[in-house]
This record gives sequence, structure tokens and C-alpha cells, in this order.
Amino acid sequence: MSTTHELNLTVNGEEWQLSVKGTETLLEVLRKHLTLTGAKSNCLEGECGVCAVLMNGRVVNSCILLAAQCEGAQITTIEGLANGETMHALQTAFLNRGAVQCGYCIPGMIMTAAGYLKENPAPTEEEIREGLCGTLCRCTGYTKIVEAVQEAAQTMGAK
Amino acid sequence: MTAAKEFEVVGKRLNRLDGEGKVTGAAVYASDFALPGMLHGKILRSPHAHARIVRIDTTAARKMPGVRAVVTGASQKLNRFGNFIKDFEVFASERVYHVGQPVAGIAADTEYAAKQALRAIEVEYAELPAVFDVMEALDKAAPLVHPDWQSLKAAPIIVREGNRCSRTVIKVGDVEEGFRNSYRVYEHVFRTSAVHAGYTEPRVAVAQWTASDQATIWCNTQLLFDTQSTLAEIFGISPSHIRVIVPGIGGGFGGKLRLGMEHYAMALARAAKRPVRVMSSSEEELTAALFRQPTTIELKTGVDREGHILAKQGRIVVDAGACSGSGPLVASTGTMILAGPYRLPNANLEGISVYTNNHPNGSIRAPSGPMPNFATESQMDMIAEDLGLDPLELRRRNILREGDIAVNGQKMTAVGLEECLDKAAVAIGWDHRKPEHNRGKGLACGWWMTSRGSSGSYLKLMQDGTLTMMVGVVEMGTGALTGAAQVVAEEMGMKLTDINVVSADSLTTPYDFGSQGSRTMFAVANASREAARDLLGKMRVRAAKALGADEQALAMRDKAFWSGEKKITFAELAAQANTAGGGLIAEATYIAPAAEHDASRVQNHFSPSWPSPSFHVHATDLSVDDVLGEVTINRYVVAQDVGYAINPTYLEGQLEGGAVQGVGQALSEEIIIANGHVQNGNLTDYKMPTAMDVPKIEVILVTHPSVAGPYGAKGVGEPPTIQPPAAVANAVAAACGKRIMHLPITAEKILLG
Repeated sequence: MSTTHELNLTVNGEEWQLSVKGTETLLEVLRKHLTLTGAKSNCLEGECGVCAVLMNGRVVNSCILLAAQCEGAQITTIEGLANGETMHALQTAFLNRGAVQCGYCIPGMIMTAAGYLKENPAPTEEEIREGLCGTLCRCTGYTKIVEAVQEAAQTMGAK
Repeated sequence: MTAAKEFEVVGKRLNRLDGEGKVTGAAVYASDFALPGMLHGKILRSPHAHARIVRIDTTAARKMPGVRAVVTGASQKLNRFGNFIKDFEVFASERVYHVGQPVAGIAADTEYAAKQALRAIEVEYAELPAVFDVMEALDKAAPLVHPDWQSLKAAPIIVREGNRCSRTVIKVGDVEEGFRNSYRVYEHVFRTSAVHAGYTEPRVAVAQWTASDQATIWCNTQLLFDTQSTLAEIFGISPSHIRVIVPGIGGGFGGKLRLGMEHYAMALARAAKRPVRVMSSSEEELTAALFRQPTTIELKTGVDREGHILAKQGRIVVDAGACSGSGPLVASTGTMILAGPYRLPNANLEGISVYTNNHPNGSIRAPSGPMPNFATESQMDMIAEDLGLDPLELRRRNILREGDIAVNGQKMTAVGLEECLDKAAVAIGWDHRKPEHNRGKGLACGWWMTSRGSSGSYLKLMQDGTLTMMVGVVEMGTGALTGAAQVVAEEMGMKLTDINVVSADSLTTPYDFGSQGSRTMFAVANASREAARDLLGKMRVRAAKALGADEQALAMRDKAFWSGEKKITFAELAAQANTAGGGLIAEATYIAPAAEHDASRVQNHFSPSWPSPSFHVHATDLSVDDVLGEVTINRYVVAQDVGYAINPTYLEGQLEGGAVQGVGQALSEEIIIANGHVQNGNLTDYKMPTAMDVPKIEVILVTHPSVAGPYGAKGVGEPPTIQPPAAVANAVAAACGKRIMHLPITAEKILLG
């Protein structure tokens, strides 16, 4: 339980050397050690997706990933998605499309979409729905979220 | 009248004011909030549905590493609480009466240490007979959930008898006579299951005592002031000594109206003399939150040959669980939904709530809506089928229209129901109701109210010419406060982004009834609009003096008052007033006027009249898999009379989200309870709709303006969850001929039921 590991991690471009417990998850490291609270905490069993972040460019549920498994990894959280002062196309589209209500799932939803669009840059509506199905949103009914991802995909494709 | 005019800010699709922090991760939610030196609390819960507590020994737990405080029902004197009946205890004192009931709490250095220490608490129970079925609980021979029910304090409107903890009746005309005159009489029984509100942020609270009789709580409640007064009651201190702050809330949907973790955090923080955070685990959410009540609904309807309803008799039996919670309210308001938005010459509708040893329940979005609507609207289709009528035509023959008298004696105005019905039918392609094998369409009508309750608003003009609006509600995500700010900006001739919203701090913001009842934007906007007009008056006086002009001759544009070519800007006015005249501030309060009704028709009714009623129709087109029984929703249409759309984008968001929440209750969501024990306490087995399970929700906004509403708006947030179970049930029946009478409509029921 109390065994500690030395962990090297790059989070949003910043390198960290951390001492973490064997039982600690990536989500705990982000939220407690690094006080990056953008990734949210809910089910803690990989079902709701509010904790989603990118690990080496791929979407992971940080609540069920042990920090010790992330040695040397590149992590991107919602806080690191924007390019300096310029918001990512997904962030802009989520705002402009009214896809945000309470917002608690939104960091996970946007990171999931960001990971998915890397794999499939021009998805159909059905593919977007499949790509986002690991993240639960109770507020929006997903309609405007799907529209926002479609819009962002177009913006990103046009660049 | 107002809706026809062109406005600058209201009616526009403007981005929400709190949006940027939510897409960048900067927004702080209650679950992100922390204090230095903060401990973590965990709750020990009862494994029994009904038992006497013989002994609790916390000696070993107190010695566990990291443990700072242990609290039981015996260690702190805490008063009982409950919104209608004082039947909740913070920690069980002598008995436990439901599984999951808190028995003890531990505060420790870490959550892990607290969890470990819970196992070291020894509790000896002596099991007692329990009752889980509402009908059995009504039997005189059933064990009493609260043998001392007569000594529990209750609101005067509550009529109790043993396990029955409330009874409401609406009576019109003579139902027996109506049934005698009927061509056909239909009798059915419907059942609905418990569901969870489904918010993605678990309930959480951080409590800190700042003096022996003063505390501050950071939490994610929807109701600041109800939380404040309930905590004051429990701890026997003055409400003004309890400060409730909501840093941010990850969804509510009614599941965060009543106390969540606040009282446990406060009790533990008092014992530990340190700040304590308590957060509900996902398992606790799905086994020990306040669910939507399971119900049993008996419904008997008589019609003439043409399908006109002549008499309706119904009873909604609400399983309140072991503490009454919102059960009495749900049973009471449920009678109006049993009636439905129809002309009823004769009716006898009863709502009762009943104690069982199941988990207590709460007030989930449109608390009494989906269950009786499922019964009423399913039965309407069954009647239509039997009479050989189109279900749409049967509804046309019975719906309320302008000037009609509703079941409660209220004269209906601004009734957009027929328009909703027509537009939804056209949109879904009603003429081809069974387009192919195992594919069908269904629709359902409904109505709801804009709840009352007061709101206050403080406004102050800032030195930079912007305006700060301070209100006592929580922005739950609906966009209610962006909508209210749009109304204020319109009045003030400002941009939406000129409004700074301060909310959700019980010490610094004015009283508000809270984020509930489809009334938040409605009431806050009305109060703030009144305050804005008052502030403009004060500004005008000061501007006239400064410009040496007549008040009435001043023009207002571009955030300035003008007298010919001379002007004074809002910023200059504020600066001048701050220096010389104490600043420019204004305040106002609002409560919606009660709608007139016929009091002789109702007994012990919690909401006998429906202010600014809203009307809605949902229609869906779905397919049922022959072999798997699986339902695929091809299309889903929501037509809702919203009065006026202050911000169409967020209004659509309410209707889209509400419809999907309702589809969850229709098809997949169920808290499965066996002998008081929840069987599916995780998000793998409790199935909320994902993006893959639903199509795009098609929204039609119908606008019959409310006289009382801001710019004609009506309450909108709750209604979209009401109709989905009935619309889906009717479409399933159209698709495959199976009439499902018990929610949810699972594949098993379709194939085997």
C-alpha cells in the first residue's frame, strides 16, 4: 500500500518528477499532486468518462489507470489543449454551439473528441456518437455536443 | 405583445456567461474545492432494512491510523429533519429503517484511512420485520416503518395514517354518474421504477466551523437557503450563522435539492475541529441517493362513442421509502398529471405516499411528471385503439384549449397545446404511423407549471460602466442566469457581457427559493428586471442633474444618457456616484402571482393551481428488433410551448437534454431493489443513455406568451422529462403490438411480457 514510486511524467508539455503511491491513479496525480482539476472525478471505475485525458495522444480514463503505469508518458489535459491564448477548435465549437450546460463532463467530452478526431478527422454523425459513447452527459442529450464536434472537425480539416 | 418587438439582447443566441471556464477546465466545482488542513469523511451505512441497534462500539476505529473523529447518533445531539415530516435522522439513534441509512461517520487524514476505519466500527443489530411493497405497507397488519409516526412533526397539509404518509384528492362532478353514461370504461394498472437523477458530479460538501455556533459549507446543493435552514434546524443554531456557498455544481436535476453530504460534513467537522470534506462515492450515489419514487398507478376512464372523456378515476401510490422526503409532494402533484391537459367533466383523482423500508426518495426533474403521464398517455392510446380512432384525433377531441377550465377549476390561458400537437405530428410524419414491419410512431401530450417561490436581486453599477447582478440561486447549467442577465442587459441598454453575475452565497446574495421547479430564470429575471428599472430611474436623476437637463428629455444610448450633443456615460455616472453619493445600487424581489382555482375541488393539495402552465407534445419514431427486443429510436421530436425564448440555444438544450433523460427512464434506467437492497449500484448496470443510444433531438419551440413571464417566457426545464416514457411506450405498441405497463420498457419485457 505504502510503496512509493518515482514517476517521470510530461503533463501539458511540462516535465515532472513525482513520488507517487502504488495505489494512486493518474487522476489522483493530476488533481492532487499537480492541482490540475480540469479532469473530473465521478464513478472512478471507467464508466462515465469525466476523467478522460490524452496519454501519448490516445484517450484514457485517468481514474482507472495507475500512475505507476504512466512512466515516461505524455499527458494532455483540458488545461493543455488550447494553443496559448487561442482556444482549441473543439473548445470554441462547444461554446458557440451551446453544447455546454453544467460543464462537468465537458473536459472529458472535449478530450475524448480530441483523441477521436486524431484517429478519424472527418467522421460522420454516427461515428461521432460512437466515438463519444464512453462519456456520459446528463444535461445536453448530446445533440449540440455532436454538432460541436462536427463543426470542430470541419474547422480543423480546413486548416 | 412584447414578443413582436425587435430586441437587442433577449431572443438572441448569445453564448453563456460561464462558458469559457467550463471548456478550459478553469471552472471550479464543489468537488474541486479544498481547504488547508481539510480531513476526509466517510459514512458507515446500515446493511439491514429494519433493525434495532443493540450496540455500537467505535473504540477500535478511533485508534486506527489517521482517524481524527468518529460520530454516531449517540455522540452528538442532532435534531430530526425533513421537508414535510421530520422523519430523517442524520445518524440512526435507536433503529435503522432502510438499507444504506447512516449509522456512523469517520473523519480521517485521507479518504482511504477513513474507509479503512469504517470496517473497525462494531455494530450489533437485532433485525425487525420490514415491508417493501407499497400495497402490503397499506395493509393494517403490515409492520409500521415509523411506529412513532404520530409523534413526528409534520406540515399541516399532511394527512397520515400508519404507513400512509400523505393523501391528496381532486374531485370534480360525479365520476360514478360519468361512468354510467360512458360508452366504454377502461381500467388499467401501471407501474414505474426508481431512477437516479444522473448528475455526473457526486454530492459533496466541505464544512468548516468558524466559531462554536457558526459554520461555512461549500457544497453542490440546488437550494442554498433550504440547505441553510435545514442545517440550522439539525444543529440548533441560527440560520444566519450558517453560510452556504456553491462554488459550482455538476448537474442537479432535482437530485441535489435536499441535503446530500452537508450535514455529515458539518457533524464531523464539529467533532474533529478541522474542515471536513465528504463526497458521495458512485456506489453511494446509486444505492443511497434520493431517487425518483417508484409508483403504482390505477386508472379508470370512461368515454362516449366519439372518444370524449366523461369520467376519470385514478390513484397514484407513491413509494416514499423509509422517510417521506418528497413523497407527499409527488403524490399530490401527480393528481394533476393523472388528469392530464384534458377537459374532464367528472374526475376523482387521489395521490397517496406510503412508507416502506426501501431507500427514501427525492424530487427528480418534474418530480411527479413521467409516472402518471406514462399511465394517462398510454391509456389514451389504448382507448383510441379500442375505439378504432387515431390516437392524435382522440387527443384533439379532449385537449384543453384557450379559456377551458382545467381539473382544478383554473381557467386556462396562453394554451399552446394544439399547436404543439399539430407541429409534432407533422414533424414526425404521423400519416405513416407504421411505416414498416416492427417500426412505429407514438406521441404523448403533457402539461406542467412554472413553480412559484420568491427571488431577490441586487444590482450595482460599476465604475467601468458594467453592471453587477447578485442573486441567491445556483446556476445549475441550464443557462438560467445567462437568460436573466440577457433580460437585465436589454433593460439597461447594455451588452450581455456587461453583466457580471454573482450567485450562490447565502451570506451575500438575496433570498431565493432556489434552482428548482422550472422557475429559476422566470423569477430571477423578473426580480432583476424590476431592479434594473429602479436603477435606471436613479441613474436618470443623477444624469439630469449632471447635464443640467430635464430627466424626461434625456435619451439613453450606447451606455450613456444624452441631452442633445452632451452626454454622461454609465461609467462616469458610477464614478461620480461612488465619490459623491454612495454609489448606484438597486434591489427588487419577485414572486409569481398565484393562479385562481376552485378550492372546493381540491383537498390537501400542494400545488392546487398552476401558474403560467406550459404545454408539450413529444413524438418518436422507433424500431423494435424481432429477435433481440432491442429498441432503436430513429427520430425524436419535442414540441413545447415555452411562452417566449429568451435564449433559443439554451432553451433547446433544456428540451434536448430532458428528452434524453426521459428516454433513459423509458428504456433502460432502473434502480433494481430487492428486499430493500439495490442490486445494480454501479454505472455498468445502471444504464444511462450514451450518445450512441439516442438520435438528434428535433426541437420545435411554440410561443404562446405568459402574461407574468419575462418577455412572455414560461418555465421550461422540467417538462421535457415528462413525456418520453409514454411516447416511447406508444411507439413500441405501434411498432410490434406489445403494450408495456411497467417501466422501464426493456427487451425482456418486450419479448416475454
